[in-house]
Amino acid sequence: MTILSRLARQREYNVLALLVLTVIGVGCANHSFLTAGNLGDILVASVPSVIIACGLTFVIVLGEIDISVGSLLGLLATVMGQITSPTHAGLSVALGIAVTLLLGAFIGLINGVLVAFGRMPSIIVTLGMLTVLQGINLTLINGQFITDLPPALRFFGIGQFLGIPISLWTAAVVVCLAILIARETPLGRRIYASGSNPEAARLAGLPVRGLKLFVFTLTGFLTAVAAVVSVPKLGVIDSGVGQGLELLVVTCVVVGGTSISGGRGTVTGSVLAALLLSVISPMLIFLRLGPSVTYWERAIQGAFILVAVLADHLTSKRHEAR
Amino acid sequence: MSTEQLDKPIIEQPAKPSKGSALRGILPSRQEIVLLVLLAGLLGLAYALSPNFLTPTAQIGLSTHVWELALIALPMTLIILTAGIDLSVGSTMALSAVTFGLSYQAHLPIGVCALLTLAVGGLAGALNGFFVAYVRVHPLIATLATLAAYRGIAEGLSLGRPVSGFPDSFTQLGQGTLLGFPIPGLIFLVFLVAIGLCVTRLPLGLWLSAIGYNETAARYSGIAVSKIKFWLYTSSGLMAALAALLFVARRNTAKADVGAGMELGVITAVVLGGTSIFGGRGRLFGTVLGVLLIHETREFVSWQWNRDELNLIVIGMLLILSVLADSLLSPKAR
Repeated sequence: MTILSRLARQREYNVLALLVLTVIGVGCANHSFLTAGNLGDILVASVPSVIIACGLTFVIVLGEIDISVGSLLGLLATVMGQITSPTHAGLSVALGIAVTLLLGAFIGLINGVLVAFGRMPSIIVTLGMLTVLQGINLTLINGQFITDLPPALRFFGIGQFLGIPISLWTAAVVVCLAILIARETPLGRRIYASGSNPEAARLAGLPVRGLKLFVFTLTGFLTAVAAVVSVPKLGVIDSGVGQGLELLVVTCVVVGGTSISGGRGTVTGSVLAALLLSVISPMLIFLRLGPSVTYWERAIQGAFILVAVLADHLTSKRHEAR
Repeated sequence: MSTEQLDKPIIEQPAKPSKGSALRGILPSRQEIVLLVLLAGLLGLAYALSPNFLTPTAQIGLSTHVWELALIALPMTLIILTAGIDLSVGSTMALSAVTFGLSYQAHLPIGVCALLTLAVGGLAGALNGFFVAYVRVHPLIATLATLAAYRGIAEGLSLGRPVSGFPDSFTQLGQGTLLGFPIPGLIFLVFLVAIGLCVTRLPLGLWLSAIGYNETAARYSGIAVSKIKFWLYTSSGLMAALAALLFVARRNTAKADVGAGMELGVITAVVLGGTSIFGGRGRLFGTVLGVLLIHETREFVSWQWNRDELNLIVIGMLLILSVLADSLLSPKAR
């Protein structure tokens, strides 16, 4: 156990080192990269993946996966927009947010029930859910945009508290709670135990099914939280919101050192990886490599992932006898 | 570490081990019967609501949409049979399509362009195969990384610009017919028969199932696991390149967004067809049924209600419900 935890921590340091080096490197090339305003923008842009990655870390530690978070965020954005926008339902903002949070948790719960009690592989359940939610979203939005979010809702996206954006406060609270759950509570330890050996955990009397329900519901709920603090920032809600987010978040968790077969990984690692991946696109702008370089963004992102995964694989192979 | 491997044969015991490779059975499996019933129901509904949908002309016309997915589903079935997965097929299609467009723009002969395209697709697949088989990265992770990387390279090389205006001799490949049957369909049939023969008449099918059930045991029993995996992923890349050629020929345009979301459609079809995502169990017949069911559902919903988004809901539900039915009906799965 000590070797495993040391390894996992080592991985966090790797990601942290890569992040710091990237930021300092780009900062040397272009000093305006290191201004508080720019770094703040990067942090704010990383909020959705940071928040969802906290939930998904637990899911993957438990040996499951959830690839429905991208289309869930898209659907929640549409629902929230249509409830609150004056040209649609025009209901109160509090109701819109409550419905969003409940719906997110409910969809997560359905995923959890299908996985835990339907005995289905989670990749199938959430692949199906991804498709269904996308379909519902497209049906609801019906080819139109929502552009007139009420100011009270937009406050959650652009408002500040003590000079720091609401979304950053929220992300900070979520991250702290997630770390606390993972490290200090019996619940967290049970998730790790069940992830590293489900059969042994079951025989030891741990409620493995209940834990599955919990992690999927939590991820659905956190996706809704991410929607509430990130979507109002957008001036326009269309069918493209949340597209590809599932792959980005899974990537964050994996790059952050969580083992895809469960049992090993930390919230801190996922959060650092989420920050690292959000630095890439502003980095390309600040390096002033010309307009065509933005087309290479995804290639560079892919290369980062490959390097991180390979580095982890090669270093951990030496320690672990697999 | 060792407990996981010791558990494996106990947990993932085949439902009927005496049958040997599930690929060899002639009778349809439970999942396949469910699919056949659903398909019959769908076609019956289609006949009742709109008889024109079932005429051969309409069906052949609509079938042009399915061949790329069907082709990629063949190697995907074999990969999932070994408990692997290839998420990068859509991006490989994009990379191949962009290669084709750019080499055509560089005034290379069309045959050379096509060969280059296949070579790039094959290389992309080989890189996946290398990571999965020799570096032993989890296939989900390896192909997730190349999913981003290949699409990114396609976008970077093409700068998001489309290439079009290919000669008729090439577009015929995607649009033409031979004896009234679409050429891509004939290509698919050739591959289906060839791959089907390989997995049923050669030991290959048995080997793939063995790898899927218990890779360690397969290694110890002398199966060249790494080599087989490497070539499986390479063939998946090659097939994605072929699908990209057919797609470009059909649409007469090559762009970096070709094949977006293809991986999810293909995996849905394979899993719907009864191939276990944990490997070991599955066959091509089921995949053909899965592809057929998805295709007919999509086309009928578009035909009848002209709403493409309804399709997504129906197909997602089909996937969840059919796997749920299989899981609840089987006495002791997992």
